[in-house]
Amino acid sequence: VTRVVRLTVNGAAHELEVPTYRTLLDCLRYDLGLTGSKEGCGVGVCGACTVLLDGKMISSCIALAVFADGREVTTVEGLADDERLHPVQQAFMDAGGFQCGICTPGQVVAAKALLDANPTPSEPEIKEWMLGNLCRCTGYYKIVESVRAAAQRSQP
Amino acid sequence: MMAHRVVGKPIGRVDGFEKVTGEARYSGDVTLPDLVWGKVLRSSLPHARIVRIDTSRAKSLPGVLAVLTAADLPKLLVGRRMFDMPMLARDRVRFIGEKVAAVAAIDPDVAEEAAALIDVDYEDLPAVYDPVAAIAPDAPVLHENPGAYDGAPAERPHPNVQSVLRFKLGDVEAGFREADRTFEHVFRTQLAHQGYLEPHAGVVAIDDEGRVQVWASNKMPFRLKELLSHALQLPPERIRVNLTPIGGDFGGKGSLMDLPLAYHLARVTGRPVKMIMRYTEELMAGNPRHPAVITIRTGVTRDGRIVARQVKALFNSGAYAAFKPAPSVNLGGTGMGAGVYRIPHLLIEGLCVYTNNIPCGHARSPGEPQMVFAGESHMDMIARELGLDPAELRRRNLLRDGDHLANGHHLEHVRAEETLEAALKASQWHEPKPGPWIGRGAAMTHRHIGVGFTNARVRLETDGTVTLSIALPDTGTGAHLVLRQVVAEVLGLAIDLIEIEVATTDDFETDSGVGGSRVTHTGGRAAYHAAEKLKEQIQNEAAKLGVPASALAVIAEAAARQGRTLEASHFFDAKAHAAVTSFTAQVAEVAVDPQTGQVTVRRFTTAHDVGTIINPIGHQGQIEGGLIQGLGYALMEEMKTEDGRISTLSLGDVKLPTVQDVPPLTTVLLEGPVGPGPFNAKAIGEGSISAVAPAIANAVADACGVRILDLPITAEKVFFALKQKPPAATKARS
Repeated sequence: VTRVVRLTVNGAAHELEVPTYRTLLDCLRYDLGLTGSKEGCGVGVCGACTVLLDGKMISSCIALAVFADGREVTTVEGLADDERLHPVQQAFMDAGGFQCGICTPGQVVAAKALLDANPTPSEPEIKEWMLGNLCRCTGYYKIVESVRAAAQRSQP
Repeated sequence: MMAHRVVGKPIGRVDGFEKVTGEARYSGDVTLPDLVWGKVLRSSLPHARIVRIDTSRAKSLPGVLAVLTAADLPKLLVGRRMFDMPMLARDRVRFIGEKVAAVAAIDPDVAEEAAALIDVDYEDLPAVYDPVAAIAPDAPVLHENPGAYDGAPAERPHPNVQSVLRFKLGDVEAGFREADRTFEHVFRTQLAHQGYLEPHAGVVAIDDEGRVQVWASNKMPFRLKELLSHALQLPPERIRVNLTPIGGDFGGKGSLMDLPLAYHLARVTGRPVKMIMRYTEELMAGNPRHPAVITIRTGVTRDGRIVARQVKALFNSGAYAAFKPAPSVNLGGTGMGAGVYRIPHLLIEGLCVYTNNIPCGHARSPGEPQMVFAGESHMDMIARELGLDPAELRRRNLLRDGDHLANGHHLEHVRAEETLEAALKASQWHEPKPGPWIGRGAAMTHRHIGVGFTNARVRLETDGTVTLSIALPDTGTGAHLVLRQVVAEVLGLAIDLIEIEVATTDDFETDSGVGGSRVTHTGGRAAYHAAEKLKEQIQNEAAKLGVPASALAVIAEAAARQGRTLEASHFFDAKAHAAVTSFTAQVAEVAVDPQTGQVTVRRFTTAHDVGTIINPIGHQGQIEGGLIQGLGYALMEEMKTEDGRISTLSLGDVKLPTVQDVPPLTTVLLEGPVGPGPFNAKAIGEGSISAVAPAIANAVADACGVRILDLPITAEKVFFALKQKPPAATKARS
C-alpha cells in the first residue's frame, strides 16, 4: 500500500508516494537523498536519526513517513544558514564535540532543539536533554562542553 | 623541548565541517544509479546440519532480483588470517546468526521480506557454549580438521582450540619455589560489542571495465583489497577500495562482513548492491570483544616482591577464527597478564577456543581489558592479604629502565612509577575518604606505540596551498587533522593552508591502515618525511627563482609553466616497536549503595605518560572516549547469551553509557621527550580503556569489602555479595 505524502523538509516542499511502512528516516535518506540523518540502533534508542518534526525532537527511525504528512521536518542539513554554520555546529567543531561523526547530526539537532527551548541550560539540564543521543567516541565530555559553548555563543 | 607553531595547538575549527553539516558520506550513504539492496537470512540454531533450503517463495516475491545459497558460490572459506568461515553456511551452521542465504531486491524492506520467506530445514547437532567445556575430551567438535584451514596455527591441544599464544620468561616452576606465599584467583569477563553506532555497511559495484568498486566501513583498505582478491578469486588490480569516513571502529571495522556477498549479488544481478547490517545483526553476528575466563597465580616474597606468575586465559572465540587479524590468530593483549610489573619467572598461555557462539574479533586494545581486569584485581587482592597499600605493592614491582615485557621486548625511558605517583597525588589517594561506603581503587596498564607502514604524498598547489594525500580512512580519531598539523609544522605554514585528500587503493602501493595505535606514528612519520622532501624542493626552486621560499604560489606557478608539479612522497615502514611504551595509572572513587548494590563513580583520575601531544583536543578526546568505554565495560555493558542465543539484541539492552553516566574526570598528562612518532609523539588511542574496570572493582572492594570477579559489576552482583558477607575468602596458600 502506498500513500502520497506532502511534507516540508528544511524549508523545501516535497510531494511523494511512499509505501505506508516507509520510515521517515528512509524517506529522508533514500527518497529525498538527505543522508545526514543516520540509522544506528534502528529502534529509537541511540538518537543518530534525530530530526525535528514541527520543531519537536523525534527519532525518525521509528516514525513513519506518512506520519509527517502536512508537517515540517528539520534535519541536520537544514541547520546552517547558507554557508554560515549554526552556533551549535560551530561549537561542536571548535570544542571537539565529534569524532567519527556518525552520531553528530543527531547531537547537533538535539542541541539546537534544547537551545530553542532553553537558551541558557545548566549542566544537569544539558545532560537530561541529551540523554537520548548516544556517542561512543567522545565519552560525552566535549559534547557537553560544545552545547555549553553554543549556548554562550547564542547569547546576544 | 623545541617550540612548535602548529604542533601542540588545540586546533578544532578547521576539521569536521562535513560531519556537523551532515555532508560527510559514509559507506551506507553512498548511492549509485540502479542500486539494489542485499539482505541475508541467518541461522536460528546454534549448531545444526542444513537438510534443505527452499528459496522458491522468496524468488517469486515481486521486487526480488536474486537469491543465493552456498550452492551458488565457490567452495571457498574467508577470513583475515585463518580462513575458516564460509561466505554462506554450507551443509552446517555453527552459531545463531550465521548467514545461510542472501537476497538482492529493489529496496531493503522487500529484501528483508524475501529473506524471511526462505525455508530452511535443520537437524540439530550437539552444541557447546562454554570455553572450559569446549576443551573437555568429550566436547562436541565444531570443525573436523581445523589444522587444515589456511592460516591455521600448528599447535592444537584439542580440536576446538583455534590457537595458543604463549609468553615465557625464566622458569616459572622454579620461581614459585622461591615464593613465600602464592595466590590464585579466577576472573571472568563478558561478551561486549565495540558499540560503534554505524553498523557495518558496504556498496559493491562492477563497473563498465569489469572492475569491482568497493565502498565499505573498513579501516584497512589495502588489506581489504587483498582479502577480497582472495575471497572473490580476482586479481587485486581488478578491485578498487574507495575510502569513506567510518562511523566508529574501536577495533571492529577490519573484517569482510557482507562484502563478498554484495559482490556475488552484484555479479548475478548486474546492479550495484548495498548491504547494511541492522544493529540487531551487529549484535548477533558482528565481531565483538572476546569473553574470557582467566586464571592467575602469583608467587610473592614476604616483602611483596613478585617472583613468579602463571596465567591461563581461555577466550571464548565463537564459531570461527576468521575475524582475528594477527598472525597468531590470538589476542596480543594476552601478554598483559604480566601487567606493568617486573616478573622474573612468567608463563602466560592464551587459548582461543571454538564454541557455538558469535565469532569474536578485535576490539580496542584486543585482549587487554580482559587481562588487565584480572591482573589488576589480583594485585589488590594480594595487597590486602599481605596487609600492604595496593599502591605500595605496585610500586615495589613496577617495570624500570632496562626491564622487558612478557614478550621479551626491552624497555627504556620507563615512567611507570612517575605515572602511578601522579595519579595517586591527583586523586588524593592518601587523604581520608569522604564517608562510609566510599572507596578508592587504583589500576595500571601500558600500551605500545603501534607499528605498520604508511604512504603519504604532499603536493604544492598553484594557489600556494599544500595537499596531503593519504589512503588512511577517517575513523574518527582526529588523525587527519594530526597529519595536517605535522605537514603545516614542517613547512612552516598555517593549518588552513594544508588540505587533505583521501586517496583510493589505486593511488598507492600499500598501507597498513588504521588500528593498533599506529596512525600518529606511521602516518605522522610518512607525512613528516614527505613534507621535509617537499620543503627541500621548495627551497631549491626559490633559490633558482630568486624569491623567498615563502612565495609558494609564485614557486608553484613557475614550476607549472614548465609542466612540473612540486610533489614528494614517502613510504614509512616501522617494523619493530621502539623501546618505549606509554603507561597509564587510574584511580576510581566510588560510592556503593548498601540498599541496592548500585555503584556510582564519584570521580575518576587518569594519568598518562605521553610523548609530544600534536593536537590537545583530539588527544584528550581519545582519553575520554576510551575511558568511558572502559566504564561501560566495568559497570553495565554486556551481551547476554543463553545456549548461544544473544538476548540483548538492541542497543538499549546492551546499555552503552549515556551522558548521565559520565563521572567528573581529572586528567594528568606527563609529557616526555621520547616517542617514535613525528616530533616525538607517542600513541593515545588505546591507553585509557583497559585499567578502568579493575580500578572500579578495586574501589568497590575498598568501599564495601565485596570483591566482584566477573564483569560487569552490576548492582545485582554487589547486592547479593553484600548479603553474603563476609566476602569470599581468598584462596591463599602459604
